[in-house]
Formats: sequence, structure tokens, C-alpha cells
Amino acid sequence: MKDPYEVLGVSRDASDSDIKRAYRELAKKYHPDNYNDSPLADLAEEKMKEVNEAYDYIMNSRKSGAGAGGSGYTSYNSYSNTSSHYANVRVMIQQNRLDEAERILDSETGEHSAEWYFLRGMCYFRRGWAQQAMQYFQRACQMEPNNMEYRQALENMTRQQGFGYGGYNTGGMNGGSDCSVCDVCAGVMCMDCLCRGCGGC
Amino acid sequence: MFGYIRIQKSELLVREYEAYKSVYCGLCRQMGRDYSRLSRFILSYDCTFYAIFLMSLRRSCTGFERKCCRFNPLKRCTYCSAEDDALSKAAALSVILAYYKTLDDIADSGFFKRTAYRIVKPIFARWRKKAARRYPELDKIAADMTAAQQLAEKDSNCPLDKAADPSATMLSSVLALEAESESKKRIYSQIGYGLGRFIYLVDAADDLEKDIKNGNFNPFVGINDRNNVIKNNLSQALAMTFDAYNLLDLVGFKGIIDNVITKGLPTVQNEILTKIST
Repeated sequence: MKDPYEVLGVSRDASDSDIKRAYRELAKKYHPDNYNDSPLADLAEEKMKEVNEAYDYIMNSRKSGAGAGGSGYTSYNSYSNTSSHYANVRVMIQQNRLDEAERILDSETGEHSAEWYFLRGMCYFRRGWAQQAMQYFQRACQMEPNNMEYRQALENMTRQQGFGYGGYNTGGMNGGSDCSVCDVCAGVMCMDCLCRGCGGC
Repeated sequence: MFGYIRIQKSELLVREYEAYKSVYCGLCRQMGRDYSRLSRFILSYDCTFYAIFLMSLRRSCTGFERKCCRFNPLKRCTYCSAEDDALSKAAALSVILAYYKTLDDIADSGFFKRTAYRIVKPIFARWRKKAARRYPELDKIAADMTAAQQLAEKDSNCPLDKAADPSATMLSSVLALEAESESKKRIYSQIGYGLGRFIYLVDAADDLEKDIKNGNFNPFVGINDRNNVIKNNLSQALAMTFDAYNLLDLVGFKGIIDNVITKGLPTVQNEILTKIST
């Protein structure tokens, strides 16, 4: 195990509140919400785990067992829909085997389903081809407006496109409209952190 | 397509700014040593960033020294030095990219400019040859990118993502060369892909007016709601870079690299967007 103090980037004599602050910063940075659909999601998850373990370790050793139970953030997997027609394609995308996934999807002819558009878009997204991904996600959402999975992918993209490095908004071109999703996420994240900060209440 | 990876000076600490400048000067000196005095004119911010990134990853910066400026004898500059080949590699990338850019410009420009580029081409070719001998992998990546780019731009309906792919892939492969493990490789590739895509798209947005006038290829021609598409794609590319960058634990030059990614690049984006919306 790495030195937990090093993981949190604090010195050994840091106060509990400093440690909490450092932990909160890192938890915000590696939060799974930032890596929705990202090909690097698993690496972020590892980092998150490392940070959680380091924090738990320090807190446990300081308070000898009081509070600090269970890791704060558990990852969730949006590709759990294994009963779907495209279960194998989903697995491939998850493992970043994009060429194979695309080959299977592209070999299908005729009318495509909403799921097809979603998965095709996801391949593009993982490659960083944002413009195409957007169009495919939009199509999937049009076909099945009530599907949470498709909507989440689209919202995730919209969030990234309104990316402003914590408030920095690019140009006064159409400011205002792009931060709503961000705000909600940030709000939830803060609440989460506070809860955690109280020692697992 | 040079000079978009910039710092935002006002947000840097003075010592960070001095370190940045010393890498810039160090790279300048290195280019003079490795190639020729003339080659210093192709020094770019992009390759300075590459040098800083390399030195940060490898922790190879060994210090700074104050000496006479090679350009202006009345000025004194601080030069950064590295224990490994970080500066040489950045110098090699500079001359290799300059050569391939010249090829591209010869294909794209009007008569007078084309003639000018043809005159300098043999000089660039000589430098590139020397650089390619030392770093064949860099040369191959750049050559592949140029070929892919020309192929993509032949089709005037080429989708935006496909047009941006060669540049993005190039930077992605260049950074991936540094990876010592599979997971690092994925992170570096992602950073490179986002950055490369950003540079290509910013450059395309910057040249939009000129390209429309001259009838050259530009991925944003014929796109509805153009300004928003540009803005969204640029932000997205930065988000991609930023998310991957966050997974790295850099030590040296961290302040500078943070500054470039979180402040410098958005500022560049902002400038270009303001320019095209007026």
C-alpha cells in the first residue's frame, strides 16, 4: 500500500480538518460522475479507491476505529443491461475494444434501433469523436425519449460541452444555459462530501 | 497550426513564469545546437509545452543557468537544462513538424507563397532528416498524420471528427511514446487526443474566414449553427484532456501545466470564438 499521507498529499502532522479538506478535493476530482462513459473510467475508479482507502486508514488510525466506515463512493456501471440484444457489443465497448464493436454494429443492415444508435454513438464518444457521438445520442433519445441510459449519455455530453473549468465560461456567446446540469452534479457532490466529512453519519 | 498551446501569463506565479521562459530559451538553445541557428525561428509554444511535459513526466530538469541571449547580445536569459534528451526530443519534434507543415502549405497556398515555401523546403528537409535519424518514431508518426490528413481533406464533405482525427492521433501517439505502463499509456493517449483535436479545431476555426475566401478545405464549412458547434466541440476536447490529465500525479512544473490546461487553452478558445462571432 502507498503511503496514505502521500496519496492525500498532506503532511503527517496535518490536522484532521486539513485531511478532510484534501480528501474532499480529491474525491471531487476523481468522482465517477466526471468519468461517465469515459474510456479511463476504470483508472479514475482505482484512484478513487486509493483515496478512500488512504482516508479511511488515516482516520481509523487516528481515532482508532471511530467513524470513517465504508468507502464513500462506489462506482456504478451503466452497461449492466446484459439482457440486451447487444450484450456482447456492450462488453466490447466497456473493454475499449472499439474496432470490434464497430465492426459488429456496422455489419447490421436495415432499420436501426435506438439502442444501435446509442451504442454506435458510444463508440464514437470513446474515440473522442464528439460531433458524431452527439448526433447518434440525439437520434437514440429521439427514438426512445424515456430511456434513462440514452438520456444520461446525452446529458453527460452536454455537461462536457458546457465545460467551463469551474465557472470559467467561454465567451459571452450563449452563457447561462450550459450550467444547469453541472450545478446539480456539483450540489449532489458537495452534499455527499459533507456527509462523508461528518464521519460516515 | 502552431502556437495555440499557451500559458496565461497573468495567472502564473513569477517563479513559474521564469521557469517557463527558461524552458523556452533552453529549447531555443538546443535547436541552435542540434540543427542550426536558423532553426531557432521555428521555435513554438507548442513544442515548449511538449518539452515541459516531458521534463515533468521524467523529472529530468536539472536546473537553470543565466547566460547571454543567443539572439540579443545585450540581454541575459535563463536557460533550463535537462539530464536526459527532453529538450532534444522537443527540438526534433519542432523541426519535423515544421517540415511536414511546409509540405502541407505547398499543397494549399497560392503561387507566391508556394514559391516561398519551395525555397525553404530543402533547409527544413535537411533538419528533418537529421531529426528523423535520431527519432525515427516521431518522424513516422508525423508522416502518417500528414498522409491521413491529405486523404481526409480530399473529401470536401469529410465529417468534422474525421478531419480532426489525424492531428489528434498524432499527438496521442507522440505522448504515448513516453508511457512506461499500459495504464499510463491510456492516460497519455487520451490527453494527446484531446489536445490534438483541440489544436486542429481551433486552427480550423481561426482560418475559417480565410478558407472560405480561398475555397480551401475547412471542417466547419457548411455546418449549421456554426459558432455553437465550434464552442461545444472545443470545450468537449478540453474536457477530455482535463479528465485524463487529472489522473496524473505530476510533480515538477505542475503549476505551469495546470495553467496551460485550465487557463491558457480556454483563453485561446475564447479569443478565437470572439474573433469569429464578430
